[in-house]
Amino acid sequence: MEGMAALPRRSGELVFHDAWERRAFAIAVALCERGLYDWDVFRAQLIAEIDQLGAGREASDPAAPGYYEHWLASLEKVLARRGIAPDEDAPPDD
Amino acid sequence: MSEPHDGHTHAHDAPPNPYLEKRRNGEETAALEARVKAIEDLVVGKGLVTTAALDRIVDIYEHDVGPLNGARVVARAWTDAAYKARLLADGSAAIAELGYGGLQGEHLVVVENTDTVHNVVVCTLCSCYPWPVLGLPPSWYKDAPYRSRVVIEPRAVLAEFGTELDDDVEVRVWDSSAEMRYMVLPQRPPGTEGMSEAALAGIVTRDAMIGVPRLASP
Repeated sequence: MEGMAALPRRSGELVFHDAWERRAFAIAVALCERGLYDWDVFRAQLIAEIDQLGAGREASDPAAPGYYEHWLASLEKVLARRGIAPDEDAPPDD
Repeated sequence: MSEPHDGHTHAHDAPPNPYLEKRRNGEETAALEARVKAIEDLVVGKGLVTTAALDRIVDIYEHDVGPLNGARVVARAWTDAAYKARLLADGSAAIAELGYGGLQGEHLVVVENTDTVHNVVVCTLCSCYPWPVLGLPPSWYKDAPYRSRVVIEPRAVLAEFGTELDDDVEVRVWDSSAEMRYMVLPQRPPGTEGMSEAALAGIVTRDAMIGVPRLASP
């Protein structure tokens, strides 16, 4: 059957919708690879972010944050706990 | 046996996605872009990571790490019984034999579809997914409707993806977690007896390795 070799890639829709999602993904992975946090720490935060809204509301409200909005919020919080945050949010110690 | 009822064309195309993506307006997108840029500037400025390293990660996950890896694992299992036994016994070790591993590839469990068992994978909590073999998850995998519903009514969800299972086929739903990530070993479809391992890898779809469709004959 023609074009079969392309199937594993073709079978899906876009992984990232917007450039910022791609970037947020890369930052989270890069900082984990650098040892700034364990992946489980990031994952736990991500679960908490998703959970905060509740699956039901997320399902019914198309304006609710999408997956990478949760991802971004998790990244911000995990970094803030390590003293890495843009200006006014920064905790006192590093 | 267990092929979708509506024939080959449909089975080989992307399944109808019952969960449409969300759309934001330009203002919301701009605000999100600014937040990401603020983080990037911060961590690059602190020397924690370089812009080039971020580009490299995007490139790796979008192009190198993907379901073709998983498809090669499946094709090897179909053609090498000893490899299949090792794959089912210890997924992480078996994919490492083919050079795959890394973030989210630890604790990989491979579950086998048979005539009487159909496996489907979900992560009800977030979106745990075996990156080294399947790449990044499709958007529907991350969305709340799939995450919550496939556990409650797997047959109905599978039917929405075009997979109608006979009543005597047992459906097993595997919920991924930090401890365990799952990949489905699809059944080798009939009519593929003479195909090489490389050609077989070409008929394995990502979604079949999540367990949403079954593979049809080529």
